[in-house]
Amino acid sequence: MNRYILKRLVYLAVTLLVITTLTFFLMHSLPGTPFDEDKISRLSAAQQQQIYASYGLDKPLYIQFFRYLTNMFKGDFGTSTLYLGMPVSRIVLNRILPSALIGFQAVLFGVVIGLVLGIIAAYRHNTSMDYMTMIISVLGISIPNFVVAALLQYFLGFKLGWFPVAYWESYANSILPSLALSFGVIAQIARFIRTEMLSVLQQDYILMAQSKGLSPAKILVKHALRNSILPVVTILGSIVVNLLTGSLAVESIYSVPGIGSLFVDTIKANDYSTILGLTVFYSAFYVVVILIIDILYCLIDPRIRLASAKE
Amino acid sequence: MKKAIKSVIAALLVVSTLAGCSSFTGTQSSGTAAQGESASAGSGKDSITLYLKNEIPTLNQFSASDNIAFAVLNNISEGLYRLDKENQPQPALAKDVTISDDQLTYTFTLRDGLKWSNGEPLTSKDFQFAWLRQMTADARNNYSFIMTDYITNALEYSEGKATADKVGLEAPDDTTLVVHLKAPTPYFLFLTTFVPYFPQNEAFFQKQGDNFGLGKDNLIYSGPFTISQYDAASGVTLVKNDNYWDADNVKISSAKIKIIKEQSTAMNLYKAGQLDRVELSSAEVPSYKEDPEFSTNTIFRTQFLQINTTAEGTKNVNIRKAISCAIDNDLLANTILNNGSEAAVGVVPGTMSSGVTGKKFSSFQNGLKTFDVAKAKEYWKKGVAELGKEPQLSIVLDDDTETKDVGTFIQSQLKDNLGIDVTLDSKTKEARRTLMKSSDYQMGVNAWGADYDDAMTYIQLWADHSVINGFRGNFIDESYDKAISDAKAEVDTEKRAEILASAEKYLISDQTVIVPLYYMGSAYLTKSNVKDLFVTHAGTLELKHVSVQ
Repeated sequence: MNRYILKRLVYLAVTLLVITTLTFFLMHSLPGTPFDEDKISRLSAAQQQQIYASYGLDKPLYIQFFRYLTNMFKGDFGTSTLYLGMPVSRIVLNRILPSALIGFQAVLFGVVIGLVLGIIAAYRHNTSMDYMTMIISVLGISIPNFVVAALLQYFLGFKLGWFPVAYWESYANSILPSLALSFGVIAQIARFIRTEMLSVLQQDYILMAQSKGLSPAKILVKHALRNSILPVVTILGSIVVNLLTGSLAVESIYSVPGIGSLFVDTIKANDYSTILGLTVFYSAFYVVVILIIDILYCLIDPRIRLASAKE
Repeated sequence: MKKAIKSVIAALLVVSTLAGCSSFTGTQSSGTAAQGESASAGSGKDSITLYLKNEIPTLNQFSASDNIAFAVLNNISEGLYRLDKENQPQPALAKDVTISDDQLTYTFTLRDGLKWSNGEPLTSKDFQFAWLRQMTADARNNYSFIMTDYITNALEYSEGKATADKVGLEAPDDTTLVVHLKAPTPYFLFLTTFVPYFPQNEAFFQKQGDNFGLGKDNLIYSGPFTISQYDAASGVTLVKNDNYWDADNVKISSAKIKIIKEQSTAMNLYKAGQLDRVELSSAEVPSYKEDPEFSTNTIFRTQFLQINTTAEGTKNVNIRKAISCAIDNDLLANTILNNGSEAAVGVVPGTMSSGVTGKKFSSFQNGLKTFDVAKAKEYWKKGVAELGKEPQLSIVLDDDTETKDVGTFIQSQLKDNLGIDVTLDSKTKEARRTLMKSSDYQMGVNAWGADYDDAMTYIQLWADHSVINGFRGNFIDESYDKAISDAKAEVDTEKRAEILASAEKYLISDQTVIVPLYYMGSAYLTKSNVKDLFVTHAGTLELKHVSVQ
């Protein structure tokens, strides 16, 4: 097990290196510079030269690349040129926390409600409960989260005044954005659980459990749910990464100081170090989440063995 | 094995929950106090809540270069002069200035007893330090030209060819600052109202090192307000600075400036009484135009169509004139944009100072862009005859909504009035610039925001050949360049303004290198109990005089 994790960590490092290299060179092929050209063009040639030199941008690209890599290994991701003077690690850390809180709540809420709805729909197959769940789920998937966010803001925030309309000042501010993001999760989870559960409920061992006289609740939770949850865990990986790394639309609707818009903003501004820092961060996060999901498989279904766990 | 995995997952869950919590308390501890105020924001007597449409890039004055950062910096710090409601410079940290007869030496006298927010005295040395730093590449805002263009030996110092003591900047005693200029500069006092000309406390600055400006405690304040809470992505809370020399005339005790990127969010907050001013989109203007809370404001920023004078087709001056005459700027500003923007006749906004006391630049401007379909057709015919064939035209422009609307409008005007089909080529801003610099375009929608309140900021753009010429339409004209250098040397302000106005006419009417389109404006709703809240022509938010009734 430990060996397996170690091996995966090595892969992780290699993946990150490849991603960093690709991003670095692609990014430098974008038109423009990190500077406001209206201003920089007003400077004399010598002044312009000094500015490029002070950011190390006067050196050939491969030297800039190796310098970046060496600094990265030392844990220094450089400073932003958009948020001038701000270390990239500090920007990412400041921004990820609000996004992660909202994302975490959305996943938690979405998974719990989604599971309940899915189970009910499967258990009461072809009843009005089932149809209602499926309607909710189709709506949840087809309505974009920013529409949900705007509606929640207008009705629950502005009209009814139950929650703050926007800003990021107290815990109450995190509720509406979390709710808005959780709709999609509810829909996805409910649909997967229902389909999976329906096929599991047809299995002989369920019949067996019923004939043993187990209570329906026990059958559902202990036998049916555990066997149908695996596909949910699979999609959970991408859901978690998506939500915890922020949503551009929902965050800007609720004025949440999250990480959602950072990528777009920094790419527009050619903020090289922040683009790279974010890419490394996102990729590392994604790879780690995939690793955790793999470990989760093993926990849920003892039949699954991690590739090298046998060794 | 299973147990181990379980505990790993449990640990992960705990960590992520903690991360969630700490994110929250971090913002909350500073946020709860602010929240208490927000309840009274709409009705309170001495606090207002405003917003900016983008995140605050920096609060380091040597790094700040846009109106978002300036909106905060202008209110937490101060220069020798400060703009009043009529956009005229009024003595601020300086109480007086003596200008020599040749207009080359400015002797400023600072007010007595000026203090930084930490209680230390604010002296002319603080100006000297900040200005010298602003001249060099250490000033990451790339605004060094705003000093090196004017002050003697500043450019040499900036390029490392002269030492600091050679620069025309002296602080003979704590309250006197002497500035030597290269040429008469009628707008020099305006420049001193601009953030890059603000003072800085050297000892404090050095002590902070790389952290300077990163947080509220890494800043020292000289303006009407200090910062009690700061987060680049969610905003700042300003509180009155008791050490400010004119604190008695600062009427509000605090101001919150939030970051709101979404127009509908700002509107909801305004209606809910949690914002004191909201900017309106074009679509919203018609329904609020009669509202007593409605107002508009233009800033010194001109959108124009840059024509490439060497490209196929547009190298013909009659073709260029035809295009200019065929576009109805009034229709564009009042119907298409309808957001407080005004139709442009020249590249210089007429409301700019002319340098002559009591006269706006508009009183010198004449014979600039007109809208005349008959003339446009005539020019077009002439141009086509000269070229021997009808040229195919295209426009490069940025891909934001407003610019695309403008592009579509120009396209339809040229279709209606000249009967020609023009293609639109929308690109990201950087890609559009690259294209224009390499001269690979016929027409491009471009804009320029004034650096200071004087026509020179616009007119000299086409005489400055250190810029890649393609970007300015490859317009290289000796008589134009000469007019600019004459104006720079002219001491008589009346004559100077005339030279600049005729240069503008040459650029727009005679050569039609550009077609001015509109002066950028905004339309607002402001709560009726908020008084004297304004944005200067430079686009900077001014809070010193605000009162809430």
